[in-house]
Amino acid sequence: MAIRSCIKIKSEWDIVKARQQGRNLAKEIGFGIVDQARVTTTVSELARNIYLYAKTGEITIEPIFDGEKKGLKITAKDNGPGIPDIRIAMEDGYSTSGGLGAGLPGVKRLMDEFIIQSKENEGTEIIVSKWLR
Amino acid sequence: MRIPILKLKDFLLISIQVELDDQTALQFQEDLLNKIHQTGAKGVVIDLTSVEMIDSFIAKVLGEVVDMSNLMGAKVVLTGIQPAVAITLIDLGITLKDVPTALDLEQGLAKLEQDLEE
Amino acid sequence: MDKTIVKMIEEYKRHINDRWEERMKRHASTHRVEDITTEHYIQINQVFLSLIYAHISEEYDESEDKVVQFAEQITKSGWDLSYITQGLQTFRRTLFDVLFENMSVNERAIEVYQQVDRWLDPLMNKLIDATAMNWEDTVSMQKVALKELTAPLIPVFQNISVMPLIGTIDTERAKLIMENLLHGVIKHRAQVVLIDITGVPVVDTMVAHHIIQAAEAVRLIGASCILVGIRPEIAQTIVNLGIDLKQFPTKSTLYSGIQTALKMTNRQIVELQKER
Repeated sequence: MAIRSCIKIKSEWDIVKARQQGRNLAKEIGFGIVDQARVTTTVSELARNIYLYAKTGEITIEPIFDGEKKGLKITAKDNGPGIPDIRIAMEDGYSTSGGLGAGLPGVKRLMDEFIIQSKENEGTEIIVSKWLR
Repeated sequence: MRIPILKLKDFLLISIQVELDDQTALQFQEDLLNKIHQTGAKGVVIDLTSVEMIDSFIAKVLGEVVDMSNLMGAKVVLTGIQPAVAITLIDLGITLKDVPTALDLEQGLAKLEQDLEE
Repeated sequence: MDKTIVKMIEEYKRHINDRWEERMKRHASTHRVEDITTEHYIQINQVFLSLIYAHISEEYDESEDKVVQFAEQITKSGWDLSYITQGLQTFRRTLFDVLFENMSVNERAIEVYQQVDRWLDPLMNKLIDATAMNWEDTVSMQKVALKELTAPLIPVFQNISVMPLIGTIDTERAKLIMENLLHGVIKHRAQVVLIDITGVPVVDTMVAHHIIQAAEAVRLIGASCILVGIRPEIAQTIVNLGIDLKQFPTKSTLYSGIQTALKMTNRQIVELQKER
């Protein structure tokens, strides 16, 4: 059975490592190709956010169960500067890093559930999950 | 890690076979622009058949490569984007609106030839 | 169950049954049972009664299958669950009526009530569980059936394919349609895909959004989309809702869509000269 894996994000290479883990676990749980891509991309976006804004942090990927439903939960946690206004960060096209600004709202569309908590100067925690159809 | 860039007549062909990390993507951007400069290539086909994931960063780098190459007079076509990758990009809200695409390398080359004739 | 009570029930069984059937007849119209023959109705009533009596002794454990079977029969016949609930309620009422009319057990009334409850309540739960399970099965079967209805991609000419969309498009279906569409494009090496929405009853902002996304995804993998089958009322709603479909060509009929598609792939249909 798939087990949870935890990846420390310290360098760009850890982003690649994290998304490979995400793909493996998604495959193991039984997600189709498209959802595997959704999971992999989500992990990549979340890991990159950590690397860009907080420098270091942690991505946890684990299987979840609800009755007969199976799914995957991804937790991204850092102790970085935090997000001053989550509402603005969730708007399409908003970016402070010169990216496409597709990150957070995009991740929300890729996943089924999306929870974000952030405090300025304390850090950010994003928990997302995707259920097997 | 470097992505090989092949030259075929007036065109440059790139088939991306490795998992794109940020560094490789940026290195590729630089290499391609230099190659266009050296060869005076009129068209570029970037084949993405083997790429399993494109996130917003890589999409941005690709979009920029296309714009920069256009500035240097080389038309770029992206080919072989996989359905799963396309769906993920759409979910992310990335449409790569002004970037020409084709199903595969062959149709990509045909598209370039057709465009250059006009 | 107390032996004397069981004996009493046995004794008046006919009486109870007759009165029960009489009372059930009055509710028949609410159970949607009008369509079946009287013999069938009587037969099912008999099965129901014997099932109830089978549960009178607690040791009776073979009845589990029979409960499931009975529930299946009820669901398959298209009867309402109310046949079961009303049947049991009516049975309980009839039973007390008959018992108290015929026996001097009024001082034991509470005990009788409790014993009967202990007899009938578990049966009620089992029957409802079994029926609910049946319904869930039916619903999930229908979901699968609906999935199978999801749009196929049909190649009509070399490099030209058509995807007819039929029925209401919700988010779940839109996702499946998108996947079918993209994999079909790759499989048939389609350069142009015609999405035909003649069979889509309503195009609101949501549906339009799904269609636009599908068209954008098709473009990403290297093909083009033409939206066809736009009826006048759909053109009106699209414009009234301020939906922008200008990014890809639209045509009113599949026929003119195919002509455009041929033009896009540098082809055309020519009539052959008749030989004399």
